[in-house]
Amino acid sequence: MALKDFRPMMERCSNCAGCKFIPFDKIKSIRFAENCPSIGYYNFMTYSARGRFQLSQSLLDGRTKLDDTVTEAIHSCTSCGYCDVGCKVTRYNLETLEHNIEQKAYAVEQGKVLEGQKPVIENLKKEQSMLPGAKKANRTDWAKDLNLKDLFKEKAEVAFFAGCKYSYEPKLQKIAQAAVKLLQGAGVDLGYLGAADNCCAGRAHQMGFLNEFKDRAKANIKAFETAGVKTIVTPCSDCYHAFKRQYAKLGLNVKVLHVVEYVDQLIQEGKIKFTKTVPMTVTYHDPCHLGRLGEEYIPWEGKEKKIFNQIHTWEPRRPRYNGAYGIYDAPRNILKAIPGITLVEMERIREYSWCCGAGGGCSESNPEFSAWTAGERITEANATGADALVTACPWCKDNFVNAVDENGNKIEVLDIIELVQQAM
Amino acid sequence: MAFPKEIYKALEDIVGKRNISENIGVCETYRCIPSQSSAHYGPSEHWTPLPQAVVLPGSTEEVQNIIRLCNKYGIEFKASTTFWAAMGYIGGDFALQIDLRRMKSIEIDVKNMCAIVEPFAIAATVQAEAMKVGLNLNIPGVGCSSSALANASSWIAFGPNTIFMGSGSENILGMEWVLGGGEVLRTGSLGSGDGWFCGEGPGPSQRGLLRGLFGTAGTTGVCTKMAIRLHPWPGPADFPTYGTVPAYKADFGPNFKCYTLCYPSWEAWARSVQYFHESDIAYSGHRQFSMFGRNLKAAMLKIITDPDKQLCDIPELLEDPYIKEQNEKMKLDYQVIIAGFSERDLEYKEKAIDYILEQTGGWKSEMMLEKDMHDYALLYLTRLGHKNLNFVMCGAYEGTFGLSPNVWRTIQVVEDATAQKRKWEVEHTSIAATGGDSAMGSLSGIGGGGATGWEFFTNFDAYDKESVRGTCKFVDGNQEFHNKYSFGPDFCRWNSDVRHMNGYNYTQEEHDEMFSKTPQPWIFAYQYKIREAVNPKNLSGSYLRTVNPEKLK
Amino acid sequence: METIYEKLCAILGSENVSDDPATLEAFSRDESFATPMKPFFVVKPENAKQVQALVRLANETKTPLVPVSSGAPHFKGDTVPSVPESIIVDLSGMNKIISINRQQRMAIIEPGVTYGQLQEALAKEGMTLSTSIRPRATKSVLTSLLEIEPRLNCLHQFNYTEPLRCVEVTFGDGNQIFTGAAGNGPQDLQKQWELGNWQVHSNGPAMTDMLRMVTQAQGSMGIVTWASVKCELLPTIKKMFLAPAKKSTDLEDFVYKAIWARIGDKLYVMNKAYLASLMGETPEEIAELKHIMPNWVAAVGISGDILLPEMKVSAQEYDIKDYAKQTGVQLLSKVPGAVGDAVLEKSVSPSGEAYWKQTAKGAFQDIFFITTLDRTSKFIEAMYALAIEAGYPTEDIGVYIQPQHMGTSVHLEFSLPYDPGNSNEVKKVRELYIAASKEMSKLGGFYARPYDIWSTIQLNKDAQTYEILKRMKNIFDPSNIMNTGKLTLK
Repeated sequence: MALKDFRPMMERCSNCAGCKFIPFDKIKSIRFAENCPSIGYYNFMTYSARGRFQLSQSLLDGRTKLDDTVTEAIHSCTSCGYCDVGCKVTRYNLETLEHNIEQKAYAVEQGKVLEGQKPVIENLKKEQSMLPGAKKANRTDWAKDLNLKDLFKEKAEVAFFAGCKYSYEPKLQKIAQAAVKLLQGAGVDLGYLGAADNCCAGRAHQMGFLNEFKDRAKANIKAFETAGVKTIVTPCSDCYHAFKRQYAKLGLNVKVLHVVEYVDQLIQEGKIKFTKTVPMTVTYHDPCHLGRLGEEYIPWEGKEKKIFNQIHTWEPRRPRYNGAYGIYDAPRNILKAIPGITLVEMERIREYSWCCGAGGGCSESNPEFSAWTAGERITEANATGADALVTACPWCKDNFVNAVDENGNKIEVLDIIELVQQAM
Repeated sequence: MAFPKEIYKALEDIVGKRNISENIGVCETYRCIPSQSSAHYGPSEHWTPLPQAVVLPGSTEEVQNIIRLCNKYGIEFKASTTFWAAMGYIGGDFALQIDLRRMKSIEIDVKNMCAIVEPFAIAATVQAEAMKVGLNLNIPGVGCSSSALANASSWIAFGPNTIFMGSGSENILGMEWVLGGGEVLRTGSLGSGDGWFCGEGPGPSQRGLLRGLFGTAGTTGVCTKMAIRLHPWPGPADFPTYGTVPAYKADFGPNFKCYTLCYPSWEAWARSVQYFHESDIAYSGHRQFSMFGRNLKAAMLKIITDPDKQLCDIPELLEDPYIKEQNEKMKLDYQVIIAGFSERDLEYKEKAIDYILEQTGGWKSEMMLEKDMHDYALLYLTRLGHKNLNFVMCGAYEGTFGLSPNVWRTIQVVEDATAQKRKWEVEHTSIAATGGDSAMGSLSGIGGGGATGWEFFTNFDAYDKESVRGTCKFVDGNQEFHNKYSFGPDFCRWNSDVRHMNGYNYTQEEHDEMFSKTPQPWIFAYQYKIREAVNPKNLSGSYLRTVNPEKLK
Repeated sequence: METIYEKLCAILGSENVSDDPATLEAFSRDESFATPMKPFFVVKPENAKQVQALVRLANETKTPLVPVSSGAPHFKGDTVPSVPESIIVDLSGMNKIISINRQQRMAIIEPGVTYGQLQEALAKEGMTLSTSIRPRATKSVLTSLLEIEPRLNCLHQFNYTEPLRCVEVTFGDGNQIFTGAAGNGPQDLQKQWELGNWQVHSNGPAMTDMLRMVTQAQGSMGIVTWASVKCELLPTIKKMFLAPAKKSTDLEDFVYKAIWARIGDKLYVMNKAYLASLMGETPEEIAELKHIMPNWVAAVGISGDILLPEMKVSAQEYDIKDYAKQTGVQLLSKVPGAVGDAVLEKSVSPSGEAYWKQTAKGAFQDIFFITTLDRTSKFIEAMYALAIEAGYPTEDIGVYIQPQHMGTSVHLEFSLPYDPGNSNEVKKVRELYIAASKEMSKLGGFYARPYDIWSTIQLNKDAQTYEILKRMKNIFDPSNIMNTGKLTLK
């Protein structure tokens, strides 16, 4: 959909504030009631999904120009998708996240991008990675010595897709390696794409660089097809979302699993058994792209149809993505299964989880905003009294590791695989 | 007209660079658009005017300095919190929009049962903090997404809990205002530094200048802090909700019950309401789900309590014999919550409801006793967290008719109003055809029972200009109905005399012409004088209804 | 040229204009320490039109008007003219009950209607009106409500002004309006009733609250000529329980719990001097009762009316006793010297010819203000210390704590009985009254109803409020004719 196609939504938004707060029914305190990092940090209405709808109308009508302020406002969105959930607690007819991304694409089309975005996209094009400085030549170094099958050379039941973060960052590489060993140890027949392993480009989509995303996605889909991939497992939530939702729209037809889903399944099947106690109290951060944005894509084509004069529906029935069926229980099941672990919940969880701040490319393009967003989460995590904040996404982990809460305190940040590893 | 550089610089010096913008794109997002609640000047095709800048003050001192500057340069200003309704937006071309979202603190005095709140503390957050210590607040029909302070200071503020807790006006204790002229007024015991506990006096109550049946919608100044009376909450401290989004539900334990009570006639309905007005048994009372319309309410309830259902399921649900039967049974209904402060208290309240039903020939809706329905209705009425349900059908709605606050008077005409709306639904396509009667409102608009508030929810599509125009015609017809029964302005047009349909302020001359013809014009002349006393340069729009006293001589 | 007397006679009829010296003398003073000032005339209007004409005349002639609705005796100085050449507007003759509506639980009364008169009429319709504690026989219900005398049933006091709803007022500028919901329709009650409007909603009529311009105003803004009031159903069962305590603080948790649990259609705390004074019929009886009564008593009344009254009262009795137990107090039907039901009866019934507070020693001086329950002990301690310093017997100080506005604040009242014939005692009490009034203010007591010297004390604490108050006065009484000299700095 082009930006102009969102006009009905823009004109039907009623400014209920649902896009700025966690679902009102879930509010437990003033401190952690809000949920839109963008307006939370910048404060002007413009930075909320509601403001973005209105800004688009003004842009399309020619009253507003894409000047620096507007460009920055458009791109200062982590594409975390919470606004979409908040909106759909009561509305069936607005797609705020799709609109936010389309608004970014509108700016990108006109060359209105942020300085910090440029090296990310340049590197995607040049080195097939969205980590500036990362070289294609080194992408699979992390996988040496893991006995992963190269799917272009031999068959395997499952393709392991590490993603850029796990592939390049030394501390995170160890986690990817641990994940592979864990699955292999449980008897999973694992392979990887070898030389064809490239960035999923999901973040390009989040940033509104839709052409760059599509180019990369099509290439990857072709690679998966050539390699005969039937199932992909990834420890990265961004990659997970890209494959499960965005690639599916472009024709990818493979089973996509996040590592937590697979590990949860293997624990239930008795193929992973814990032998050590991990005496810790932890709290779990739902990555946006695994949780509320982790729902499966359902193909749909249709049009709006009004019934009873003015009631909006779609013909045929249109799928509704509102985070209801994201991946929330699998990681919690794993944590609960590890001996010694006590799981305490933060106030903003599951479909209304607060973003880590790295989404939408903001960790590169708007580092202060991104750090503030992460700091908010650390404050929330520390308020639970937990020893550690656990997550299932390298972008989240990386953003949290350097963040401090409102009192300047840090918290230990763990990838869920690290905890599993400790218990083995 | 853009602000001269020196004015912008002065404003920037007050709030800091981060908290001011004159960017047109930013300012454009501070305009009220037709799909928002007009509260209540009717469906309109216009946006409110573009402010010249937006500021985000962080303290009373900053608000005061901003207003002083506006006085110095003759700049119109209007402060808002959640920007829910048109009344929070400026209405002129040389105007500053004040966004109070940075001011959101909440302090609770548990013993003396009040919350001291800043403007952007929305009702949901005040309620959440209050419930931790066994307290609760009156959340008006506008919903928990609205500012608790703005509700109480600036508009009417009654809702389901009002029968037990009193309306916004009744719950005000001490208030801090930056008056339109830039002075800071602290009412009652707050002014002399004695505490927040009393907002009246010394002597005649100065809060009377700032808040009447409804508030002055920002035209007397900016309320920056307020103590709001809280009420007992004999439920869990952590507001336990469950269920799959969006079909959240709540189980507050065995001492809370939510019933949909139904009656065979409006007369029986009114008699039962009188019982509730004359007793202390209802914790909440609202005719709520009739908002979806007499024909659709049972089907809509099924949809919103099921995470997998959508609006397109309505036709199929309407064919379901059980839903048909249940819908028919809950034609003349309302919802009540009873809260037991003890087992005996609950038992008494249960028996009292049975007694009321026995005396009036009423019954409890079976469908609404199903666990899912019960827990949804309980959650809905307790938190009022689903404001957008007003918009769910078509993307826009207005409350129309707005019948007499006296239920006995209302029931004489409610079926006529129903027929009028139904006729429009059938003969035109501009509004949703929900079944005529979509009358909803609080069982009592004041504490302890008495006055009620009624509006017929009328759903239309703000994107579809024909729908907007058709709805306007429908409202015009309603006004004739109102005139016939001497009910005053249609609810939808309550505020059409304080903001032009094009979004701009009225001039004093226009207001003089309108309000000098009212039955008691001196009321509006006093409001003129009050404005002169607290906002001498008249810089906050035209929501205050005034007539120049000279015109009455 | 027509004299003012002639002009008054023209408006009111000569029989309603008095310059009889004895009458003027009677209105020149009250039972308080207010400085006496003889009025020029005492006039007795019979209707609102006359009142409006009178106010317009006063504007022309710059004549101060002092509205008085209750019969003597008066105790707060508010009915004593503060400036010479004043006219007393005696409204006690306007004593019609204009309407009683059972369906709406509303009554409309004129200023001269007394509690005894109203309660009797309401009882016939199965209703009653909340009261202040044992109002005097001649007390105007309307004045009691306008002056926000604390009600015994704070838990039904949703609005601060409850149960007062709408009024007809002639402001000091001579304009007459209806307030609240009544302000929305034609200025004619009959026509409003025909439209089904019963003057129920107190706020407004529009975006400002005109009722609040005349509440706590001591007649300094305008003259009210009728008021609509919200009635309660007459209980079919009622009980009162008493919780004795050594110290007032021992009762705090219990009272807070009762407020929270919404039990107690009557709820208040008294010390033994106050309770003895309420219950005793003679000075001797009061002295004896003081001797045997517990130091402090919290009184909680429960009642039932039309909805399963027995079951309601039984449930509430069980619960309130349980709350008493939880908060460490005993809840009894009687305590030494007082039976609960008799305390209830005395509390709600109008006083006899002689006002009950005068029984102990012949005269009394009250000091009252608003605070919160948890702060009351601080004031009580300070009051006792000041009394000791002044040589006033602390055992004579009556203390009454009346939660109001659903318990968010309390009216704290100290009642100091004295012998008016003993000049030393009069002097002592006068000095103690002045010193204590200042001290209570310093400690945070809020004189919401600033009678006599409290006006200066309170307004001196809050310059901005005083400034706005002056502007209010200028709006509604620009010629400064309404009870001139009240609510100002002296």
